Amino acid sequence: MTSTAQELHPAPTLQPGRTILELNGLEKRYPGTHALKPVHLAFKAGEIHAIVGENGAGKSTLIKLLTGVMPRTSGEVIWEGQPVALATPHEAMALGINAVHQEVVLCRHLTVAANMFLGEEESRFGLLQQRAMVKDAQKIINDLGFDLPAHVVLGDLTIGQQQLIAAARATVRGTKFLIFDEPTAYLTRKEADQLFKLIRRLKGEGVTIIYISHRMEEVFELADRVSVLRDGTLVGTRNIAETNEPELVKLMINRSIEQIYHKEHFNPGATIVETRSLSGKGFENISLTVRAGEIVGLYGLIGAGRSEFVTTLYGRHRKSAGQIFWQGEEVQVNSEHDAIRLGMALAPESRRDQGLCLNLPVGMNLNLPIYKRISSNMLISGTKEKAEADRQIADLRIKTPTRNALASSLSGGNQQKIVIGKWLAHGAKLFIFDEPTVGVDVGTKAEIYRLFSTLLSKGAGIILISSYLPEVYELADTLHVFRRGKLVATHGFRTADHEEILTQALAEKQEKQGGQT
Amino acid sequence: MSTEAIPAEKPKRNYNALFGLTLLALLVLLWVILSVATSSFASANNISNLLRQGSMIAILAVGQTFVIITGGIDLSVGAVVGFSTVIAALLINAGVPVFAAILITLLVGVAIGLFHGFGIVKMGLPPFIITLATLTSLRGIGLLMTNGNSISINNDAFQEFSRNSFVGVPNLFWMVILVGIPAYIFLHHSRWGRYLFSVGSNAEASRLSGVNVQRTIYMAYTLSGLCAAFVGVLLASRIGIGNPTQAEGWELQAIASSVIGGTSLFGAVGSVHGPLLGAFILATINNGANLLNVNAFWQRIITGLLIIVIVYFDGLRRRGK
Repeated sequence: MTSTAQELHPAPTLQPGRTILELNGLEKRYPGTHALKPVHLAFKAGEIHAIVGENGAGKSTLIKLLTGVMPRTSGEVIWEGQPVALATPHEAMALGINAVHQEVVLCRHLTVAANMFLGEEESRFGLLQQRAMVKDAQKIINDLGFDLPAHVVLGDLTIGQQQLIAAARATVRGTKFLIFDEPTAYLTRKEADQLFKLIRRLKGEGVTIIYISHRMEEVFELADRVSVLRDGTLVGTRNIAETNEPELVKLMINRSIEQIYHKEHFNPGATIVETRSLSGKGFENISLTVRAGEIVGLYGLIGAGRSEFVTTLYGRHRKSAGQIFWQGEEVQVNSEHDAIRLGMALAPESRRDQGLCLNLPVGMNLNLPIYKRISSNMLISGTKEKAEADRQIADLRIKTPTRNALASSLSGGNQQKIVIGKWLAHGAKLFIFDEPTVGVDVGTKAEIYRLFSTLLSKGAGIILISSYLPEVYELADTLHVFRRGKLVATHGFRTADHEEILTQALAEKQEKQGGQT
Repeated sequence: MSTEAIPAEKPKRNYNALFGLTLLALLVLLWVILSVATSSFASANNISNLLRQGSMIAILAVGQTFVIITGGIDLSVGAVVGFSTVIAALLINAGVPVFAAILITLLVGVAIGLFHGFGIVKMGLPPFIITLATLTSLRGIGLLMTNGNSISINNDAFQEFSRNSFVGVPNLFWMVILVGIPAYIFLHHSRWGRYLFSVGSNAEASRLSGVNVQRTIYMAYTLSGLCAAFVGVLLASRIGIGNPTQAEGWELQAIASSVIGGTSLFGAVGSVHGPLLGAFILATINNGANLLNVNAFWQRIITGLLIIVIVYFDGLRRRGK
């Protein structure tokens, strides 16, 4: 293919305000879940249309349908007046529909330029025109106002910079319709500003932008219109000038905070675990205690050292200093095995990477920690194995056809119930939940919180890590705030307000400003 | 939420048993066709011969399957077989009692397996690399020990074992049963078997659930080494010589048998009966091709095509579910 960047650069001939894409009853069903109920929505050329909704509300399903990653179950998609199938990603791209994903989906080992032109390489007589591509890529990057080199290997850039390259890449393929899926999740404020500039510029060129974000302030800063999804249903579309944050939040969750966060208070009992000046990779000098019957919340930004702290407590990583006391006695936790033997249980942050054996049956996943108990000598008791699995599926209300279904076939919420539930039969005393409700719908959230109460009533203690402030705020009896590997503040149940806690978790801003002035 | 009915969906998991039946049907079908097409296939002599031919690969395939279920691969098994024939021959010729010679040979297999585990767990080498390295070095060590010569075993009783039968079934096939039944119980009814699957599916999740991942990996390679050494003893008995270059390419036949038997090279899917059937399907094809006077070169091509076809249909069926 012989072409230059200039030719690839979009020159949309669309009139702003005209409908470019129309969804007529677009619908998606998976076995067992109705991920997206029929959606009717029209996108106008040159608008920035925000889509908000809780995790599991159907946003990612919508994106996957629009970009041809998955086929729809029923409904019609009208592109520039013509019905289209959108059966493959290739078809979507050929129409001019592109997406910039939250996670960078590019080749880390190739150069920035090679990534920009991946699949559209410039060549002459079958030979790659590498130097020309680097030059053209650099020109595009400079035009967009990004201060980044085109010849370096992509993996050498920060995640935020990679995200900007992904956005730049999407603009060079004749894009008319561009979807941003939480693009600022890993960006610094400065990088986010560069991205917003790019988005506004694309809008000026007549490109339609779909902007998906959890951050309300970004929605109000950028968008012209906003649509709200809840439990797979489109519950409303508003002009941004005619709505406000409380209205959107109410549309998103449709229930009061008290209904979701079911909080029972128990009288704290004996201390289960205590750390004294525990330090390790990613955190230092953490002293805290967890007593029977209480939830200890750890709040902070991603990378604040909370996960590192609990995985070290759990024996996954070595501590560099400090002591761990278990029910009053100093202990050495050198492996997960030690931790489990003491009576700790960890439901890790990443379901897919750390929590589940996806291609194994539900029953086996649930029984994994207790095989020692349900086997005599070496042999597993088949009846006990089945009984334990069935009992847990019933207790946890896991929606699965049988205990033999593969874990991968379940919805995110039900998978999360396995990750948490497999420890209940094990009878642990200390439960560590690392972001237990990420990607889980509201109903399942409420069930998981109720599970917490059950555990507490049985005399267990809980460490709850969450980056979602309302969750720790409404549930934690003691709330510790982490910042850059340090414990910076401690509060009781609802003794501080959101703003104070958020400031303590962020503080960096103030420090910097303080340093400058 | 909790009041919603559980969606009606077919159970996904029972395909292992079903797949075993399909394979068995394929094997029986091959036998029926060959019985009709040739006069000599159905003779007692030929069937015994066929069982002997398939037995050794079958045992190798069982050990290999343990490793593949953990998401690994053991390329060394052919070399371990050859090396074990040398050890067994040297020991027996040196006057060591046969049972002791066998025991020591098996321990050598265990040691090789432990070494693989060490390389993977402690040195962080990919299974492909460490077992490839052993594959070539073991052949070299064997050649050094024998100066490149074959060692004839001077023990008639030892050699007779592999030629004899017990209640009409060749002793070698009894050895498959001797390995197969404990292997089946181990893989499908013990917690160690469960751990092999869980490590192959997600090592990190298993570790966080309290599974000793390192020990599980050691165990898989040790069992594979043990099976290979056992096959080495059987081969020494059958051929009557110790020679490190024997069993060339058997690792690939063992992997092929395992994969034909439904084992996934990505780990976490596999059984004991599948690879056994796979090994005997391969043996039947070779045997039948000989009887039908098919060119030996063509046999290799047919075997290759068959692997593609069976594994392709297996993949189709799984995606379909």
